[in-house]
This record gives sequence, structure tokens and C-alpha cells, in this order.
Amino acid sequence: MQRIPIKFAKPGFILGKEAITPEGQVLCGSDTELTEDLILRLKKQGVLVLTIKGHPVRLPGELPLSERLRELDRRFSKVKKDPVLKALETLIGEFWIEQEKGKDYLKRLKTQKS
Amino acid sequence: MDKEEIRKRLKEVESLPTLPPIVSKLNEMVADEDTTATKLGKIIEKDQVLTSKLLRMVNSSFFGFPQRISTVSNAIVLLGFNVIKTLIVTSSIFEVMQASDVGLFEHSLGCATAAGIIAKRLQIKNPEEVSTAGLIHDLGKIVLRSELPEEYEEIIKITNEKGLYIREVEHQRLGIGHGEIGGMLARQWNLPERLVIPIEYHHKPGSSPDFKDITAIVHFSDILIRALGFGNSGDPWVPSLDHKAWELIKFKKSDVKEVISELDEKLVELQDFTLEIKKDA
Repeated sequence: MQRIPIKFAKPGFILGKEAITPEGQVLCGSDTELTEDLILRLKKQGVLVLTIKGHPVRLPGELPLSERLRELDRRFSKVKKDPVLKALETLIGEFWIEQEKGKDYLKRLKTQKS
Repeated sequence: MDKEEIRKRLKEVESLPTLPPIVSKLNEMVADEDTTATKLGKIIEKDQVLTSKLLRMVNSSFFGFPQRISTVSNAIVLLGFNVIKTLIVTSSIFEVMQASDVGLFEHSLGCATAAGIIAKRLQIKNPEEVSTAGLIHDLGKIVLRSELPEEYEEIIKITNEKGLYIREVEHQRLGIGHGEIGGMLARQWNLPERLVIPIEYHHKPGSSPDFKDITAIVHFSDILIRALGFGNSGDPWVPSLDHKAWELIKFKKSDVKEVISELDEKLVELQDFTLEIKKDA
């Protein structure tokens, strides 16, 4: 799943979570397919951000997954011996992989590694 | 340059915007038992620019209120006076930061967001105060940049060339780190100790004399937001974890996973918030 500012939404995207206004009002449910009309209506109602299934948008400045994982590893390079931080690095990496490639992919990857 | 000299320089801070005059008026009012949130709100609302900045900050996603806050008196009731006062005191500082160092501004907002999420999960009283401590934890870096620009430039250069932590180079060059510097200034501005101590001890929370829980949360939030690579705080490295502080948080893996997921959602909103601010700047 991916969180995107509504200006990046396109018809055909499927909502991964409910669309909510900043005031907390739910406008439409998970699994709804976006249409041109619906996006316009959500914008008018003040929705700022949507959660979309998959990872269909490359946001400005967003690096490809492989590069993000490499950078993550580099950022942790001074604290590799700390078990708590090592676990944190693993959790962040897994979170990104699951977000972009899905739960099943991550499960397969973890099985392969073990 | 030594600590004493830096202390003197801070007393004569010139290049940073001075405290808005409204702050001393508000301090007097708060000392008066008859003052209500409505009365305080009315005084602040006389300054329209300040009011709009304040409402934009309190409605931004790092405080995470589901309902929009539309008046200053509501903001005071919901967030507490310590938070509102700190936002007023630091509003001009953040303007400097937005203009000169967007990366540090984003890092500070991200740290505030993480701190709020963690504080709520740990059921800390007034989590907005913890968010605010996260927001201003790197105050010392802004002071360094504006008061000692040549030294700061040199510090950044050495940090990058040698691949060190910025605070290591600060200690080598100045004998003092940005935590202590930020603490000095915050104390000079009479910010509450609940906010001063987390600024001062965010890299050594185990040694903090008080407010250990807030300080530990700001310490871990700083680590988490750097780990995620959101914003830029002067060097790219994840800082070492103070295990005494971690004992106070001690999340299970499942907790950390949920925090990361919640934070990730908010960071998308924050990016939009900073883009909006950049447009207005």
C-alpha cells in the first residue's frame, strides 16, 4: 500500500484504506476504485492524502526500493553492533518491502533467507 | 572558542529574531490566576499573522487532532499553554529555519511527529508537549548556523569530509554540542524545563536530571526519523541508542512496527505541509 497526496491520484487506483477528510469524516471505503469524478469530489470535500493498493506512484524525490534499502544500510553503518538498532533497521526494511511488493513477497523473501 | 564565550554570545543573540513582545505580556497574564484560555486567546488573536501561523502549526499533522482547531483559545485548551507559548516563541526561529535549512525543518517536524506517536502509545500525559520538545530539539543547530556562521560552515564541512556525527565535530571545535547550546537559549527564553531538558539531553538522555521519559522519547524519535531518512539534520548517520533511555520505552517489535506504519502515514501529510510552507515562503 502507498500513501499519496491526492494530487497524484489517478482513475483506476484502488483505495487500500477509507478516504477520510482532515476532520475525520469517512467519505468512501477501502477497495473503492477511483474514477475521475470521485477524485474531484474527494478533493472538494478536503481530502488531502489517500492510501492506495500497491505502489503505483513514484513520488517526487522518492528513490527506487533497492536504493532506499542501500541508503538505509548506510545510515545504520555506525551502529551495526547494537541489537536494538539492528532490529529497527530490519523492521524498516521489511516495512518498505511489504509496502511496495506486498505481504506474500516479503514472506517468501524471509523464508528464502532462513 | 570555549563554553563561556559561547554563553556570552548567546546572551547577545543578534541575528536571530527577538522574542515577540507578546510573550512577556502572555507570561504576565499566565501568572495571574484570573486569566482564562479565552482571555489569552483574545490577546494572541489581536496579532493576525501570529494567529494564522499558530493555527497552521496546531492543525498540522504532527499534533494529529482529528478535528480542525479554529480558535487560539481552543488551541490553548487542547494543547496547553506550554505548547502554545513554545510555538509562539519559536515561530520566528522556524521562519529562519524554513528559509535557510528546509532539511533541518523537515527533520524537526518528523521528530515532533514521531515523539507524539510514541508519547501517546506510552500514555504520557500531554503528548503534545512531547511533540513540541521534538519540534525544537535541534534549536542549538539553528543558533549555531545564525550566530556562528563561519564555525558552523566549517563544522558541516568536516562532518561531511570525515563522515562523522555533527555533534562530534561540534565538541572538537567548540567544546560544546548543539544540545547544550539549544538548552542555554531555551532557558534564556524562559521556556519550561519540561522542554529545555529534552533539548539539552537528547543525545545523552540517561544523564538527564529530570523528565527522563520525555527526554528518552525525543532521543528515540530523533533516531527513528534519521533511520527513515526523513529531512536532514546535518549528518546522515543513525545516532547510537542510550540503553538506559530505551529501558523507559522498551517497545516490543510489534509496537515498533505499528509506530513505523503510523509515522509513515503522517510523513506523507507532513511532506505536503512543508511543500505548502515552501510555497508561502
